[in-house]
Amino acid sequence: MKTIDADIVIIGSGITAALMAARLAETTKRSITVIEAGKPTTPLADRTKARARFLAYGESPWKQDHLDDQNAYGSTWGFSPSMTVGGLAMHWGGVSPRYSPEDFRLKSLYGVGDDWPFTYDDLDPFYQEAEERMGVAGEQGPVALDPRGKPYPLPPLPVNYNLKQLQQFAAAAGIAAWSTPSAKNSIPRDGRAQCQRCDTCYPVCPTGAKYSPDFTWNALEQASKITLVTQTLVRRLVSDPKTGAIIQATGNRTDADGEAVTINAKTFVLAAGFTWSPHLLLLSRDTAHPQGLANRSGLVGKYLAGHRNVNAYLTLPMELYPGINAQHSLVSKQFMRVPRSGRYLRHDLRLWESSVGREPRLRDDTGAPLFGNAMLSDWRTRAKGATARVRAYYDVIPDKESTLTLDSKRTNRFGDPMPTLAFRDDPVSAALKPWQEEQIATLFRTMAKAGKGQLLKMENSVNDLGQEHPTGGCRMGDDPTTSVVDRWGRAHDHENLWIAGAPTQPSASCCNGTLTFAANGLRTASAIAKG
Amino acid sequence: MSEQKHTANRRSFLKLAGTLAATAAVGGCELETRIPGNAATTASDRIPGSERLTGFDPGLLSAVGAAVLPDELGEQGRQAAITSFVAWADGYDPVAEEMHGYGYSDIRYLPADPSPAWRAQLTALDLLARRSRQTPFGQLPVEARRELLTIALDGVRGDRLPAPLTAPHIALALLSHWASTGDAWDLALGVKVQTGNCRVLGDANAKPLPITGLRA
Repeated sequence: MKTIDADIVIIGSGITAALMAARLAETTKRSITVIEAGKPTTPLADRTKARARFLAYGESPWKQDHLDDQNAYGSTWGFSPSMTVGGLAMHWGGVSPRYSPEDFRLKSLYGVGDDWPFTYDDLDPFYQEAEERMGVAGEQGPVALDPRGKPYPLPPLPVNYNLKQLQQFAAAAGIAAWSTPSAKNSIPRDGRAQCQRCDTCYPVCPTGAKYSPDFTWNALEQASKITLVTQTLVRRLVSDPKTGAIIQATGNRTDADGEAVTINAKTFVLAAGFTWSPHLLLLSRDTAHPQGLANRSGLVGKYLAGHRNVNAYLTLPMELYPGINAQHSLVSKQFMRVPRSGRYLRHDLRLWESSVGREPRLRDDTGAPLFGNAMLSDWRTRAKGATARVRAYYDVIPDKESTLTLDSKRTNRFGDPMPTLAFRDDPVSAALKPWQEEQIATLFRTMAKAGKGQLLKMENSVNDLGQEHPTGGCRMGDDPTTSVVDRWGRAHDHENLWIAGAPTQPSASCCNGTLTFAANGLRTASAIAKG
Repeated sequence: MSEQKHTANRRSFLKLAGTLAATAAVGGCELETRIPGNAATTASDRIPGSERLTGFDPGLLSAVGAAVLPDELGEQGRQAAITSFVAWADGYDPVAEEMHGYGYSDIRYLPADPSPAWRAQLTALDLLARRSRQTPFGQLPVEARRELLTIALDGVRGDRLPAPLTAPHIALALLSHWASTGDAWDLALGVKVQTGNCRVLGDANAKPLPITGLRA
């Protein structure tokens, strides 16, 4: 039996946990121990080779980044089996938009979903802090669309030659679009390189220009600010039946020995993402808490949220050169900041260069094979012109019964039931879906027409699932009967248990969520530091 | 046994079975060439006992290259494309883990080694040439080679080139491997973009320069 003692224990080592640990290390003198079920994965020094093999063969660049028997089931599009130091932010794309102020007041403004227990302005300083800790390169959009208290910490990634043409195209269609904020070094910073447009931000940046949580963990460990314990799976939180306080976390090593581990701490922080955070609370049911910990409301594992997208390719009468910086894009928040109207629709908008329709092919239009010079000549003809990719994530309001449950038929090596996910739209959202998707499709057709181009093809979310950039499962609120944690992330039922980041969010907006998960985590860390 | 344990064991079995099958498929064959140590990249976690035979008949592969690759490459450029293809094929690690990012809740594995089948296809091209034209494939005029390749590729989807790893024929694998390079894209676009390469960020603002006169 291994025993670990600490003042603060953080369960999980993903991006939210990393930024929280960094803040706590600066703002408290309490000892901090981080528990991670997986191992460290591919170090920076090996990422050039890992990238080469990814490009050559599609190999995963991230070695030993999962546990075969610790997996989720059900509708798992937004789930990744990554269980490693740094979590799935080891392979994120680095795209870091903020939500818009409307996201925090959906009920008040539009009569759908729920309001958050705080406002965009309340989160603004924590957004800023998350951007500074990660190093977000961004361009200030029009202030009315892109409100922020302070400038971005890094200058924007360039609106490159292709994006410049697309920016003019968007403007002609009446859309303001600017350089997408990204956690990538537009200039050298924090001992990490400037972005070199390797165009494999997702899944692996070979230069270290893109932020990933391992950089924070390495720095904290080298400075002896934290203790990082890997290959240790927390399987239960144990509460004092009289006070409700969490007194212990128990689990096992995930190496071959599987040694039992007990973790004693004064403060417990659950930062294990939208799947494993509610999963652990449900697993930790006991006599006093037969529905699981922190679950007086019955809402642990409920209100899983995400969004869908409509994606299209437009051919345009201009010259673009695919590959200048294919993963960088333009963004617009014009359709996120909409006034209340008859029917509810909010969505973001991104624009990329694309090679779709411009690739080489084996046969000509008659079906004859193309070899040698004929193939190259045909490719040259096809390569002329331009394809733009446009995509809109649109807001999906989660149903209460959008759930994570324990599935006793699927267990890990220790016999723990694994989670099964079943995302479900709120009835209002489900009824709006066909109209919303048609509205977005109409926008894309209008854009193509404005640019004197054509719609090449259009597609909706894979499997039609509304669970991209997923959140929820431990929603926050002021009323303990309708929420799991308070506005700071403290569990209503356990004064020394904090839940951080994505699982606490009542909604998932209609843009990439990682920055908001991290900002929420930092807000929680600020409350933990106050005691 | 829980389903989880079953799944883990099945994955281990598949990984082992894939490598064994690939090895068995080429066992007993005597290759005309091997190019040890010529791989651009090497797998870091090869399973003991899963060593692979490598290389292709250089004469036959060159004859295929001359038929499918553009003349603009020149002899030197064409040979470089072939060498790069052989290194790529030799460096493949069968049944390695695929990237499992967003949208993948399970772990998937790359396919078995395609090279044994590709080697057999080279041999088959030569046999076909000898039987139908009474001439070794490598000695046929380029147009005659293309006629045989047209037969070999009958039924293959034509609206795009497949990923090299999934190419159903070695001629297509070679063509597709070359076409996936930044140099090939530059040749098609007529400008120097160098997609797939890490490049200076500031250069992204300018219109790419033409490559007229350069060879890929």
